[in-house]
Amino acid sequence: MSFEIFISQFLGGLSVAMLLFLVASGLTLIFGVAKVFNFAHGSFYMLGAYFSYQAIALFDNFWIGAVAAALGAGLVGIALEVCFIRRIAGREEEGAFQILLTYAFILILDDVVKFIWGPAYKTITKPESLAGSLNFGTVTIPTYNLFIIFLGLVIVISAWYVLSRTRMGKIIQAASTDSQMVGVLGVNVSLVMSLVFGVATAMGGLAGAMAAPLRTVAPGTGVEVIIDSLIVVVIGGLGNFWGALFAALLIGEVNAFGILWMPQWASLLSFAVMIVVLIFKPKGLFSQEKGRKKI
Amino acid sequence: MKRKTVSMLSVLLVCFTSTVSFSAETIKIGALYPMSGRGGLYGQDSEAAIKIAVGEVNAKGLPGGKKLEVIVTDDQSKPALAVTLAKRYITEDKVKFLYGVVSSGAALAVTEVSKEYKTIFVGTDHAATDLTANAFQKYYFRVSNNTFQSMAAGAMYMQETKMGGKIAYIGPDYAYGRDQIAELKYSLGKLGVKYEMVGEFWPKLYEPDYTSYITAIIKAKPDVLVSGFWGGDTVAFIKQAKAYGLFNKMKYFHPDGGGNYEVFSTLGAECPEGLIMSARHHNNWPETKENKDFVAKFKKATGRYPSYAAEGAYAGILVIAEAIRKVGNADDTEALIKAMEGMKLHQPEDPAGFTSYIDPKTHQMVQAQAIGVTVKNDKFPPAKYMLGKFKVYPADKIMATQEYIDILIKTKKK
Repeated sequence: MSFEIFISQFLGGLSVAMLLFLVASGLTLIFGVAKVFNFAHGSFYMLGAYFSYQAIALFDNFWIGAVAAALGAGLVGIALEVCFIRRIAGREEEGAFQILLTYAFILILDDVVKFIWGPAYKTITKPESLAGSLNFGTVTIPTYNLFIIFLGLVIVISAWYVLSRTRMGKIIQAASTDSQMVGVLGVNVSLVMSLVFGVATAMGGLAGAMAAPLRTVAPGTGVEVIIDSLIVVVIGGLGNFWGALFAALLIGEVNAFGILWMPQWASLLSFAVMIVVLIFKPKGLFSQEKGRKKI
Repeated sequence: MKRKTVSMLSVLLVCFTSTVSFSAETIKIGALYPMSGRGGLYGQDSEAAIKIAVGEVNAKGLPGGKKLEVIVTDDQSKPALAVTLAKRYITEDKVKFLYGVVSSGAALAVTEVSKEYKTIFVGTDHAATDLTANAFQKYYFRVSNNTFQSMAAGAMYMQETKMGGKIAYIGPDYAYGRDQIAELKYSLGKLGVKYEMVGEFWPKLYEPDYTSYITAIIKAKPDVLVSGFWGGDTVAFIKQAKAYGLFNKMKYFHPDGGGNYEVFSTLGAECPEGLIMSARHHNNWPETKENKDFVAKFKKATGRYPSYAAEGAYAGILVIAEAIRKVGNADDTEALIKAMEGMKLHQPEDPAGFTSYIDPKTHQMVQAQAIGVTVKNDKFPPAKYMLGKFKVYPADKIMATQEYIDILIKTKKK
């Protein structure tokens, strides 16, 4: 493989990985802190795309669209947490309820989107400044894909800063270990939960808006991203933010190079990686526990 | 009465409404379409087209003063759900015909119900050749093209325009994607077109990101990229591939569903020029009065131009009405089958001087296929590009041969 092809595949995989990370990190954050398995997380990705579409239609500005997507999805996320998810917290059947409830959100949000914007596919064009391509020798890389990689890095660094350098981040980390104890210490835990939900769903919404110029905006697209995000979260370890980053990069790059070498098996690659990881680290790569104990 | 389910909750609601009795003056047709999710657009367009057709049929009248009534339910393109709904249509709603279905997987399941209950099933959208070949049963009819017809026309186009050389293929990793390239290879072989496959790529259906596939295809350096994408996947692939300059490096050839109107309406000005595509119905071809009228009626009813699915849904109702008129009632199923076999019916998509007919042996509607190239055309907004420079392939030249049906029977059984 020539160096140019390596770079082209690598950067392609990286841009896929960053969008995947934006969705998966929110999913894993919600699980880690609130212990909620948000099956509907992909629907916030879809909502983000539609909010962005609507804002661009009104203001004709891609960046306003991105802000609207993150804000809108975050607010809907907080509303759903406060009105529904919080109500089932702590119940005996909470696990089953979470799946039922969040699965219902998928169906409802899909239909809401269809009622408001219709069933036809929508499109968002790239902002003009990012519409071009850069040529390195024989390799072409779209500027927009480079922008996605850059944006992903900015979010990773910001998340690192917030989680490890701010009081809020420390509370979030503490809440994910023992939320009751954090409550006893005088922290308003339910406010923290809502906030985490809002930030996580806002990231999903932002991912939807950023992906929209590359993909199709249509009802049902949330379900399509949730499976890959789930794989990422499972590989990285449920609730582990950095695990999600590593797993997203792993899946993105394994797919990028796997497609070159074994295109026939491309759609199985993500699952193959997940199976291998689960055999050796049943709780994910970044979990503290060791592999399955032999009885 | 119209039913439309939009979610699991409303499926339950529908269960309650199904006990409402209907007047004896109606002939019921039970239609199954996806009404939600990605496929929802096709279901909604089909329903709108059905309404137009039913309105026309009922205005003209049926024997005994009966009226057609179509019930539409969301099958979510799931085979198991489609089977349940189809059985309920027959046993509880007493429908005389099963109708529609977008997903070939669901259609292959529903055709078994149709056979078991001896109820006619008119397919309007799904394209798997199997239904009129190895999985054929006499109660099944299809009024839209199957993939064999599209790919046979595609092979003829490639021969005519000397498009052989190095070929790569990308298509969704399920029966629809797999069948298309197998059928194209078969037809190219029959025509003696020389080519070399330099890569086959199989993303999953609804894959959101094709970036890694695109760079891999560019590396394979094909002369022609044959594509078997469907619906929104075509849009996503084209948007992503355009930024990589893929369309300047090779010809893009998409003979079954690439030229669907919804692809053009979504891409708008982003659509590249010179893509070679076709569809099961074009809004701007043929330029006959029938097609123009159909498109105008649809636009008037819905405020938008129809996706390809609408025309099949419209035509199927006319076929059923014609059969009922010939037989005089909708109760004699065997007579209806006889009436439909060989039936000639002028459809919006028939070019001047040609009338579609139902092949008595396979119950497949025999239609011409037109393949075109994307050119600037803003007469069907929001599309900015449409197909033009059409080449038309005669209906009898593109039907699945008995030899091919035998191959399917041998390799796939049912």
